This record gives sequence, C-alpha cells and structure tokens, in this order.
Amino acid sequence: MPELVIETKGVSKIFGGLTAVNSVDLQIPKGHIYSIIGPNGAGKTTLFNCISGFYTPEHGEILFLGRKIQGSSTDLIAGMGISRTYQNIRLFGNLTAIENILVGQHTKLVTNWLDAIIHTRRYRVENSTSLSEAKDILKFVGLEGLGDYLALNLPYGMQRRLEIGRALANGPTLLLLDEPTAGMNPQETVDMVRLIRKLRDELGISIILIEHDMKLVMDISDHISVLDYGTKIAEGMPKEIQSNDRVIEAYLGPGGAALAAKYQSRKRNNHA
Amino acid sequence: MKPPNLFRKSAEKGLVYSLVMIFMMMIGFHVVAANLMSKVFGVTVLRGSIPEVRFMAFVHILFAFLFGWGASDRQRDKKSRIRQGLITSLTAGGIIALFSVLLNYLVEAQIDIRQYLTAFSADSMRYFILNQGQSGIFVLFAIYLFTGLLGTILAIIFQSEKAQTSRQSLKAKIGEAAQTFSDKMPTLVKKHWKYGIYAILVVVLLIMPMRWGSYYNFVASVVGVYVIAGIGLNIMVGLSGQLMLGYAAFFAMGAYSVALLNAPTPHGIMLGFWPSLLVGVVAAMIGAVLLGLPIMRLRGDYLAIVTLGFGEIIRILLKSDLLIDFTGGPRGIHAIQGPTLFGRSFTSDSDYVYLILVFIAISIFIYQRLANSRTGRAWLAIKEDPIAAQATGINLRGYKLLALIIGAAFAGLVGGIAAARNAFTGPNDHSLMVSINVLSLLIVGGMNSIPGIVLGAFALRGLPEILREVETYRQLAFGILLIVMMLVRPKGLWPGSRPVLEKVDEEVVEEISTEIKKPKRKRTHA
Repeated sequence: MPELVIETKGVSKIFGGLTAVNSVDLQIPKGHIYSIIGPNGAGKTTLFNCISGFYTPEHGEILFLGRKIQGSSTDLIAGMGISRTYQNIRLFGNLTAIENILVGQHTKLVTNWLDAIIHTRRYRVENSTSLSEAKDILKFVGLEGLGDYLALNLPYGMQRRLEIGRALANGPTLLLLDEPTAGMNPQETVDMVRLIRKLRDELGISIILIEHDMKLVMDISDHISVLDYGTKIAEGMPKEIQSNDRVIEAYLGPGGAALAAKYQSRKRNNHA
Repeated sequence: MKPPNLFRKSAEKGLVYSLVMIFMMMIGFHVVAANLMSKVFGVTVLRGSIPEVRFMAFVHILFAFLFGWGASDRQRDKKSRIRQGLITSLTAGGIIALFSVLLNYLVEAQIDIRQYLTAFSADSMRYFILNQGQSGIFVLFAIYLFTGLLGTILAIIFQSEKAQTSRQSLKAKIGEAAQTFSDKMPTLVKKHWKYGIYAILVVVLLIMPMRWGSYYNFVASVVGVYVIAGIGLNIMVGLSGQLMLGYAAFFAMGAYSVALLNAPTPHGIMLGFWPSLLVGVVAAMIGAVLLGLPIMRLRGDYLAIVTLGFGEIIRILLKSDLLIDFTGGPRGIHAIQGPTLFGRSFTSDSDYVYLILVFIAISIFIYQRLANSRTGRAWLAIKEDPIAAQATGINLRGYKLLALIIGAAFAGLVGGIAAARNAFTGPNDHSLMVSINVLSLLIVGGMNSIPGIVLGAFALRGLPEILREVETYRQLAFGILLIVMMLVRPKGLWPGSRPVLEKVDEEVVEEISTEIKKPKRKRTHA
C-alpha cells in the first residue's frame, strides 16, 4: 500500500434536500495525478470544496497525510500544504502577476507588519529570497518577463498558468486543479498538459484533477474516479474506466453502454 | 450625412449650451467670477460689487467661442461642420437673447424676484445684458452668433489633418530634444532627480508656513489633518477593502482623549499633550477592535451601514445628556491645552503646521512600508477576492482587524492634534460629514496613492476654504466636480499603481508580450 496523500472516508455534503456528495471513499496515493470525472452536477467541485475547507462535510472524514482536516478553515488547510485553483479563474486582478505569486507565498513567510515598518534584518532577507523564488515560479509556469503586468491584463491561458503559479508558491504537497484547461485552445491545452506533468515529475507534487476533456484525462491520469449524482460509481486505471458500463451510462444515459458496444463492434468490423 | 439629423443634433447642442449659460447666470457665476478675479489677480474688473461691462463682454465672448468650438463633430466635412456651428450658435444666441428679453423686462418693470432667486439682483441682471438695455440683447445675440462661428472655423482649422501632423512633428521634436538633454545629463542626476524634487518640496514646505500668514496656515493645517486621516482610511478602504463610513468615531476618540485629559473642564486632569495623544491613539485602536470583532463577517453595503451606525452612535453619545458630566455634552470641551516641545509651547498657527507636517511624513513613511510588504499585499488580496485570499492561507479575521486597528490609530492621532490645534472639540466636529469627506477625498484623489490623497484633501478641504467667495454654491460646485470626476477620471485624480518588482528590460518584455493589449506599466516606487 503506497502512502496516501488524501483519504476520504464516507464523506457526504448535503445542501438542504440535495445530497451533493454522498459517502464518497477515495484513497489518493502520493505522487500521482488522480482525476475525478463525471457529468455536470456530479459533485466534483463540491468534493474539492470539502477537501480545501470551503465546506465542512456533514458526514465522514477527510485525512490529509493521516491527519483529520475537515472543519478547519481554508487558510489553515492552505498552511498545511493543500493549494487549489478554480473553475472560473480567481486571480487578484489588480495586483501584478508577481504580486499574485508573492501573495501565494503567504503561509511560507513569517514577517509581520512591524517588521515591514521597521525593515528588520529578517524582513530584508525574507523579502529578497521570496522575490527571487517568485521569479523562479514565474519562469516555471512560463510567464518569465510578464511579472509586472496586472493579472487582469494577461491573456486567458496565461491567467490559468499564473493561478497554478500562485498555488505553487507556498510549496504545496497536494494541488487541486479544477478544470485547468476549460476554455483553452488546443495549443494552450497541450502546454497545460506539459505543465501538469512537470508539476508531478519535477516538483513531486500530488495532483487531483477535475477535467471534462476525456482525451486529456485518459492521457495524463495515473488513476481515475468517476462521480455521478454525488456517488462514486467507478474507479481504476484509465483503461478500466473507458470500458466501464456504468460510466458510459452516466454520460450517455440508460442504454448507453449497449449503444457504445454496438458502435465499437461496428467500428471493429469496418476495420476488418 | 443627413441634414435633418444634423440640424436636430446641432439645435439640441445649442439648447444645452444656452441652458448652461443661463444656469451660470442664475447662480450668479459672472458676479462671483469677477469678484474672484479682482481678489486673486488684483485686477479691478468691478464697479462696486458688480462686474464691469468689459468683463461681462469678455465672459460672453469666451463662452460663445467655446460653444462654437464644441459645436461641430470632428468626423464631418468642412461644409457641414460650419453648418453645425451656425445652427448651434443661432440656437444658443437666440435662447440667450430671449432670456435677456425676460431679464430686461424684469429690470424695467422693477420686479424684485430676489426673494425666490437670490442671484437675480437688478444689477446682476442688468449687467448680464451688458448694461445696455434693449440694444444689449442684440449685441449679445451678435456676440454668440459671430464668436460662435469664429470658434467653429478655428476648430476646423486647428483640427485639420495638416495642423495635426505639424503638431505631432513638433511634439516629436520636443521629445527628441528632451531625450538628448537627458542623455547629456550626468548619470548621477539622471538616477536621483526625484530626490532633488523631494528636497525642493521639503524646503518649500519648511519655509512656507513662516511666510504666508495665519489664514493660509489655517488652511494648510486643515488640509494636513485630512491628509493623515485619508492615509488612515486608505488602509481600511483602499488596501483591505472594508468600506468604513464611521471613520469620524475614531477621530472623536482621539480628540476626546486629548480634550478630557488635557483641559481645565470638566475633569481638569491636565496630563499634558503628548501622553494624552498617546492615550487617544490607543483608545482609537481599542475602539477599532471593539467595532471590528462583531463586523468581521460583513462585507460591502452591510459593512458600510453598520460602520455608519457606529459613527453616529459615538457622536450621539458624546452629545447626549447621559454623559454630560463626563464629556461636556453638546457644548463640547473648551480651552484644550496645546503641546509643548523642549519647553516651548505651541502658540502660532505655523507651529501646528510644522507639527502636522512631521506627522504627515511619519504617516507616509509607515503607509509606504506597509503597502508594499507581505501585510499590504495580503490586504489587497482580501480586497480583490476574500475567498481566494483565504484559500491562499491569509487569515481573514486577523488581517481585516489589523487594517482597522492601524487605520484607526491614524484617526486617533489626527483627532488629537486637531482638538489641540482648535483648543476645542465638540460632537459636531465628528459628524457623519467628516467621515464622508475623508472617504470622498480618497475617491476624488485616487486610492492607494499618496499624491492622490494629498490632491484629494486639497480639492475637498483646501479649495472650499480658499474659495469662500463661492460659499453659497460650494455644495453645488462639489456635486458637479464629483460627477465630472467620476465621468472623466473614474479612478481618481492620481490613482495608485503597483510597484515594479520583476524589473525586466523593456525590450525583452516587448518580445514576449506582443499579444497582450495595453499593458499597464507605471513606475512609482523605484
């Protein structure tokens, strides 16, 4: 059994009469790219929000490296090493790109407002190291030289990458990416895939990914879970998920599996 | 080109222009302007308290010219532009002439309507039509028609392509000359010219209070007080994004601390100015904590209303009979002892100006260091998106409370100084209007920018003091100023900009960023 970065045990989140996430169990190994897929409204983002502390689940436990984290506030969870990005970009638009990354470093830095006024030694040291680290992160996400632009003036694809840069800035163990390629053109998507791989391979960060681009998901993931109406209906390697009847039905509706099998066999016959 | 459309548009324009002129007459603008001219420049354009005919003619010609200048659309061809100018001038002149007929009738029939419209004195009306009676009406009409046309023609000439290209080449030449000039400058000067300007500014600020007499010292200290208050409120509103409408309450805490601890009545403690100023600052900070804890979860409009209520509660408490033995009630506290420094007590106005200048310098220093630190960036992040800020690890409660506390400290400080300077403080010094004025100075001047705050404080507190002449129309003028400001410069006179931190060569940036439109790169903090 590999070390788990996140383990959820029977997590449920209920909004009034709607059970958005229904007793979901996940075991997410360290150093993997783990994708969560499912049709719209399946509860993927709600599950993300539970992990990152926006919501407190009604039932169940969420363990991060073996420690319970449900119920903690988002800033504490961020401090433990869980960073995230958002489905609709939430950068600090009127700050420059490099300032966004400096804000992202917040939990790593220690100086307070008094240090800032007096310019203590430790402030000056921290200032210069954090600035050079921020420049490195800009370079890593491919935004070198654009650090002094206001975030809202950057093009869409760059904003996505800057958001990842901000999430990286506090040196996270786990990164939650919520639809990182939504609205991107094919070239930007290719760049993003490369960046996500680099995150795992070079920085050794575990990644949980929500994504609708199936080609990308099958290509990049080490492991996939499928949610539908808040429940986990399947999990496994990309290959297993592709041929799972329940998953196909969740996407295509009842009878979808038979339809897909028919389509597949016809395709095979045509080839033959 | 559609003639009917053109005709209607120009006629409408003429109507608007004439209404502007009539409105100015109704608020007595021509009389006020003449008064102001004589006061400021020492030119006599007055006969008694009424402008000379020459001056009035000048005003009419000036406005007619401006109307003509603005009458035509740039895109149209010459012929239709002249037609536009003609129609606009005719309409404007015609309506003003009709208005003058009315004025003339009022003057001749000796009907006094000052009861309803204070600016309509017989003299004011007579001079509007150049003191010429009926013939003045024709003169006016002629002025508006011909000067208007002249304005249109000049505008056409001035805005023609030929004139524009020649202007551009002139501009380029000037730019080149400036470039060669700055190239020839020694690098030492090139790098540090900013400090030279600062030095000159400091010297001017040091000398002026001794030179310009007590009235301007009074104005300067009022403006200075508002500059410090503006910096404090900017930490709350501009940096951490908490809309605070009860800022005067913190002001009051500082002022009353100094007053109660430092005046013969009602307690006669006479602690001395400096210790009581410190008490005032601490009191304001404690007040901020007490207010801050319950409102941490509020945002936007709700926060504004609660803080507004807080400000009013403090003011009404100070005014009430409940605390009359403790705070002096509505009469306020008189004879507050001023500060002494090195055995010398502050007596003249210029002393206080220096005191305030020192505190302004300290405030700017603290503000600048905070704004560009981890703390300042955390505040800005909270202002931009509190949820995302918290998810990056910023403790929302802590930082919002910190912003309130530091902002309140500035208010307490400045309240204490103001109380000592006026030797008086009362509940009405801390009314809602004070809070609104400080907030408006941020909006007018521009948030997160020291020059903006100074400009705003001057525009909102300095100008009205200097322009006492237009007292009656002060509020009106402000309303207009604010509307125009919001339309023309929605971010304020001198909005703040973000520091340059990555410092990449311009050429490199240009290479990467050809696809990025309109980059905003401004250097503020070197």
